[in-house]
Amino acid sequence: MSTNVLFEAVDICKRFDATVALDRVSLTVRRGEIRGLIGENGSGKSTLSSIIAGIQKAGSGSMTLNGQSYEPVNMIDALDKGVGMVVQERGTVSGITVAENITLGENSKYSRWGTINKKALYNQAEQALQGIGVTHIKASDPTDSIDMQDRKLIEIAKIMSRHPEMIIVDETTTVLSQYGREVIYGLMKEMKAHNKSVIFISHDLDELMQVCDSLTVLRDGVFIRNLEKPEFNEDTIKQLMVGREMTGSYYRDDYDGSYGEEVVLSLADGSKGDRLKQVSLSLHKGEILGIGGLSHCGMHTLGKALFGFEKLDSGIVEVAGGRRIRSEREAMELGVGYVSKDRDVEALSLQSSIKDNIVIAGLDHIKRPPFLILSKDEKKYAARLIEQLSVKCASMEQSVQSLSGGNKQKVVFAKWIGRGSDILILDCPTRGVDIGVKQAMYQLIYQLKSEGKSIIIISEELSELIGMSDRLLIMKDGRITGEFARSPQLSESDVISYMI
Amino acid sequence: MNLLWTKHKSTVAASAPVIGLILLAVLYIVVMQGDITPYNLNIIVNQLMITAVISTGAIFIFSIGAFDISLGAATAVSAMAGVLAFNASESLLVMFLVCLLVGVLISLFNSILAALLNLPVFVTTIAMLSVLNSVIEMLLGGQSKLSISSEAAASADTLLVKLSILILFFVICLFIFRYTPIGRQNKFLSANPVSAKQTGLSRSKLTIIAFAIAGIGIGLAAFLTIVRAPVLSKTTASSVGMDVLIALVFGGMPLSGGARSKISAALVGATSVVLLNQVLLALGFSSGVNQIAKGVLFLVVVFVASIGFRDKLLPR
Repeated sequence: MSTNVLFEAVDICKRFDATVALDRVSLTVRRGEIRGLIGENGSGKSTLSSIIAGIQKAGSGSMTLNGQSYEPVNMIDALDKGVGMVVQERGTVSGITVAENITLGENSKYSRWGTINKKALYNQAEQALQGIGVTHIKASDPTDSIDMQDRKLIEIAKIMSRHPEMIIVDETTTVLSQYGREVIYGLMKEMKAHNKSVIFISHDLDELMQVCDSLTVLRDGVFIRNLEKPEFNEDTIKQLMVGREMTGSYYRDDYDGSYGEEVVLSLADGSKGDRLKQVSLSLHKGEILGIGGLSHCGMHTLGKALFGFEKLDSGIVEVAGGRRIRSEREAMELGVGYVSKDRDVEALSLQSSIKDNIVIAGLDHIKRPPFLILSKDEKKYAARLIEQLSVKCASMEQSVQSLSGGNKQKVVFAKWIGRGSDILILDCPTRGVDIGVKQAMYQLIYQLKSEGKSIIIISEELSELIGMSDRLLIMKDGRITGEFARSPQLSESDVISYMI
Repeated sequence: MNLLWTKHKSTVAASAPVIGLILLAVLYIVVMQGDITPYNLNIIVNQLMITAVISTGAIFIFSIGAFDISLGAATAVSAMAGVLAFNASESLLVMFLVCLLVGVLISLFNSILAALLNLPVFVTTIAMLSVLNSVIEMLLGGQSKLSISSEAAASADTLLVKLSILILFFVICLFIFRYTPIGRQNKFLSANPVSAKQTGLSRSKLTIIAFAIAGIGIGLAAFLTIVRAPVLSKTTASSVGMDVLIALVFGGMPLSGGARSKISAALVGATSVVLLNQVLLALGFSSGVNQIAKGVLFLVVVFVASIGFRDKLLPR
């Protein structure tokens, strides 16, 4: 083995019941290298990285770190040995402070005679945060009061404070704004400069090609190919990932931008604390309305308020005919569906089966009068949607937590499409979703528009909003600051000044 | 071997309650040396009825991820109200209806109060336990016992009546749990309350329904308690709450509810608890040792039931 090699995994295998997640996958990471790990959802990249990070054990195969056998028993052990991981979904613990999260697993360092030295704990946490250039998060704050992006930064601070030899960044950038991304890119560059290594997982091909020195492509749990930077080519990578040539447009290819005159959903003077300030908007029949901005601009609150999930301080949400939405139940009865940005926490019950997650939103459609639910009706309903959305699964009884990010998102879509929702509010609908699934979702969204459904897409990805929307609203500081009609001339630079 | 275990451990974990029940039944036959008389069976059936009926109703509470600590006291109060009603009316039907009504009212009060105050229902059941213990004192009115004559209860003290009550109640609950939206909604609510809310489920509504059904179980159990032993005292049904908890765990019901909630846990668990009691008695254990043994087995069963779900992390 070359002395330049920091980490090596050889012939790693992993099964989940009947599913083969990894089949003799090998991976080598050199010192001072940022290695991208790429593949479609379900390709095995997160399984491989979670094995490296000590979250789970490999079925077979071996790993070495610095030439020594490496078999972490858990994440803390892996971190002690020099490998840290920023996970895709929630990686902080609820109910404790920021400082306690950052020093998790090290409490004994700050305890004496059974009491915790909070001053030392907070100091250490502040230092860890400052170490990654974050100054706006207080160590004494409860973690639950902090948004998803800042929780990710806490997680990163926790890992970096242990000075790891190698970090794994698993699709983390999808939940980060530009500021958060800059923080993480800076840290990755710093790792590289100090001859340390990074395994970087992302579905953003541009980001990977820009940041990484090399790429390892996985498909269906099998190693496909290693690519060095000079070999990077978008089409080649896509083809290696999906195993076929990607054809057709990524987004919709028309610039018609037309929609019906009828207003199907409206908000008048909606306000909520300092997150929404007298926002008014209308969604028309057959319209794809994009809402964009920076992460904290209020657009996510707006999406929840339109669905009745977040109570407004003032303002009225109503559908065509003047019927008001004051709760999720009312919204559902009026044909509104909502796909949350926070998929694992808000949109799905991870321990429940795919079938149960899909069916729960459609029980009123499945039940035979007056209240009879038959198992065969449920299965038929779920099977149709699993087929329609091509959810990759061994069985509809499989728990949702064993699915890849993209397939989880398809299950969320299935919940609302199954109900025949006429209005869909999609908050970051393609977050953590690979390019193949992304393309399929864009096609689905466009198909829904063609069927006369009305869709709101809330997103931090401007290219997605410009590529899909008939009309685009930009928000800043809780207000709508710009409105743009669909046009081939519309570019990111046209709208970005309204966001910042 | 390892692969085989990995592949089948969920199945083993899911089957553990039934395997446990079969083992207990075999053990009972062995310790009784095959000498199982109608008298022995009658004891088992009588013990089984009360625990099984309350457990069946309580499944709805547990399946929403809630917990009721006042089940035993509620049963005692309902039974005492039933006895007072019988003594006033001389009618078993009136006694039955009063038991039911009081059981349901106590349960509904718990859940509606929790909904109004926006508190976890467990909190209101703690307060209710204290209130009900005082009500028991009040109903006893300074006496040590409340009773009806055994002749009066005799017409209902038959295997047919008791089994009919259990079977009918279980079948109705099974139907509600499996063939109406309630069971699915309960399980989803406890599996992820946020997602459940975002899917339009009402926690308050489901909690009130769950407690109403559990209240019917309490009322029926109160009636069966009077029929079985028509003399009620401060200690009546005092161990019921714990027995129901152990029964549900023995039956494979997750204490936090969720997707693995199953109504069969009530029958399997209640039967296991009764058989366990009989085995320990037959082995000559004192009541203290009996409690320790139940506690140890409680932990073993919880451990075995959970092993299939321990290390399923999140492969993607």
